[in-house]
Amino acid sequence: MAGSGTAQLRESDKMVLRVENLVMEFPAGIHQVVHAVSDISFDVQRGETLGIVGESGCGKSTTARAIVQLPKPTSGTVLLDPGTDAEIELTAKEGEELRAIRPRIQMIFQDPISSLNPRRRVRDIVAEGLSIWREEYPDVDVEAQVDEVLTAVGLDPEVAASRRPHQFSGGQCQRISIARALALNPEILICDEPVSALDVSVQAQIINILEEMKERYGLTLIFISHDLSVVRNVSDRVVVMYLGKVCEVGDSNTLFSEPAHPYTRVLLASAPEPSAVVDESESAIGDELPSPMDPPSGCRFRTRCPRTTGLCASEEPVMAKVGLDHFVACHFPGSP
Amino acid sequence: MCAKSGLGKADMAAPLLSVSNLHVGFATEKGLVRAVDGVSFDLTEGQTLGIVGESGSGKSVTAKTLMNLLPSYARVGGSITFDGRDVRAMATEGERHFWGVEMTMVFQDPMTSLNPVKRIGEQIAESLRVHLKRTRSEAKDEAGDLLQQVGVPEPRKRLRQYPHELSGGLRQRVVIAMSLACSPRLLIADEPTTALDVTVQKHILDLLDELREERGMTMILITHDLGVVRGRADQIMVMYAGRTMEQADTATLFSQMRHPYTEALLETIPRIDMASHTRLIPIPGMPPELVDVPDGCLFSQRCRSCSDSCLTDQPPLEVCGPMHVCACHTPVGTEAGAAARAANREAGVTPAGLDMGTFTAVEESA
Repeated sequence: MAGSGTAQLRESDKMVLRVENLVMEFPAGIHQVVHAVSDISFDVQRGETLGIVGESGCGKSTTARAIVQLPKPTSGTVLLDPGTDAEIELTAKEGEELRAIRPRIQMIFQDPISSLNPRRRVRDIVAEGLSIWREEYPDVDVEAQVDEVLTAVGLDPEVAASRRPHQFSGGQCQRISIARALALNPEILICDEPVSALDVSVQAQIINILEEMKERYGLTLIFISHDLSVVRNVSDRVVVMYLGKVCEVGDSNTLFSEPAHPYTRVLLASAPEPSAVVDESESAIGDELPSPMDPPSGCRFRTRCPRTTGLCASEEPVMAKVGLDHFVACHFPGSP
Repeated sequence: MCAKSGLGKADMAAPLLSVSNLHVGFATEKGLVRAVDGVSFDLTEGQTLGIVGESGSGKSVTAKTLMNLLPSYARVGGSITFDGRDVRAMATEGERHFWGVEMTMVFQDPMTSLNPVKRIGEQIAESLRVHLKRTRSEAKDEAGDLLQQVGVPEPRKRLRQYPHELSGGLRQRVVIAMSLACSPRLLIADEPTTALDVTVQKHILDLLDELREERGMTMILITHDLGVVRGRADQIMVMYAGRTMEQADTATLFSQMRHPYTEALLETIPRIDMASHTRLIPIPGMPPELVDVPDGCLFSQRCRSCSDSCLTDQPPLEVCGPMHVCACHTPVGTEAGAAARAANREAGVTPAGLDMGTFTAVEESA
């Protein structure tokens, strides 16, 4: 897999975010480096939902955090409104300048209960962004805005606003997190495994709310999950990641109906109810993810890949177009 | 009542495990929490029972009751029979060589179910030495063989490693090896793959399946994901709020499901072959508090097919087909069910006060 290259980037003025050659490395002891994210590129169109999918340790959360510069990536660029007059290079901003852009990108996290301060009331939690940015949002009536977003996520502000997080269930806490993120009218909402900690019966409620909010507030979503069926359901475009690299990028329906990368096929064949487009036998790969401190040469997936050859060890595959809005980094793409 | 004592009494000889009218309660400040409320099932040797439900449905408490792992303040009622022996009586008599030998369990989180300061080998050998009186070297050899059987690469080397040196998938394999050490007849797997990645999940489930077949083991597979049990269980029991809602053999459950909760569980999960942005049918609301449970059906507050009687009378578990029981006044696929749903759609609201709007919007767009 897993290659570099920027063929998947689209030329259009409708893009709201472009990530180019993003690298994130963390020091780990003497002369050792964790290669968490290595040279990935993707873009997100305005109003689109981009799904990022992969196993734990593939760098999907690190990517999300690098977009909001928490912490700043080792190298690479993150551009807001690329190619327009209003283009902002997030990676070049620091301090107050960067802070001023932050309300435009908001995030919600996996564990809804630990992402809310247990000592504060819901109204204060949701209003916090607005009270910090009081000067930038002079026309906003804080009370009314809080009431509005709480109602939008299906909570009754009369009842909910004066309570504290422990009085709510996990699903309701996730609604509060969404309300908090929406209070500042962001353009981009990054959802890092927003439904993984929730019960199946609540999962659909939250997914539906995210879809409604996207429409109502004209949001662009980046949706990270390890659950393929959830990602397919919410996404317009999907990025499959493995060990810090991008394997495959494409329109959601195309990618799931004609998966071209062997890793994507493994994921689809491993699902509890495997997809009909792959054979169940394709799920046969080793358990062990190689260490990101010492990733394999060439294609990073080669140690677990059924199609590996000498070429995969010596040469890293580059992103190549295999269909209309469908890109793969593999020397031997397609069905076996 | 045939239904009360579970499924299939007629065509099976003596079941290996028979649970009858099991009640488990915990006294709390708020009152008695009825974690399990009258659950019954029979399990024939060699079969796999899948127990499915949301968190708080009582599936793990049921498993812990079987394994005699409940805290002493739990109030347990009902009977559990394993191969003709009274399991609850064995617990009070202090029978040590039953749990861990004939009945064992694999837990959800392989990170916390291993002792971090003991080598893998010692942990597997422990039950062999305690229960089967093996010597140190015999136990060590057997532990190596067990690791080999569960597909751990380089088993001899792993024996000397500590849990933190292994990945999550390997740790779960070690836990399975431990539970298999004394050749159990019944293995209870409580969400064995929930903490694992999807690629690893499949391997672990396949492994459990193979081992079950090789050894003729009986298995209880507990999960919140209907997809996980679909291809792997012979029978499925759907639990909600401590009660059995529906139980049937797997094929029947999926082809002729009767309970609106089973239907809702299946409809609410996105499927991998579903086109993007397919609108999901949510299950509105939340599971009920299990303190002071209301009269009537516990799912009625969230149910599309709720009728007036659902609010007042608890539906009994009734036989609704061969090998199929269901506790519902208005089952899916029956006249009563269709009538109740049509009436609710007409009224726009169920007798429990649930707005039908959310459902109809989705149904129409589908």
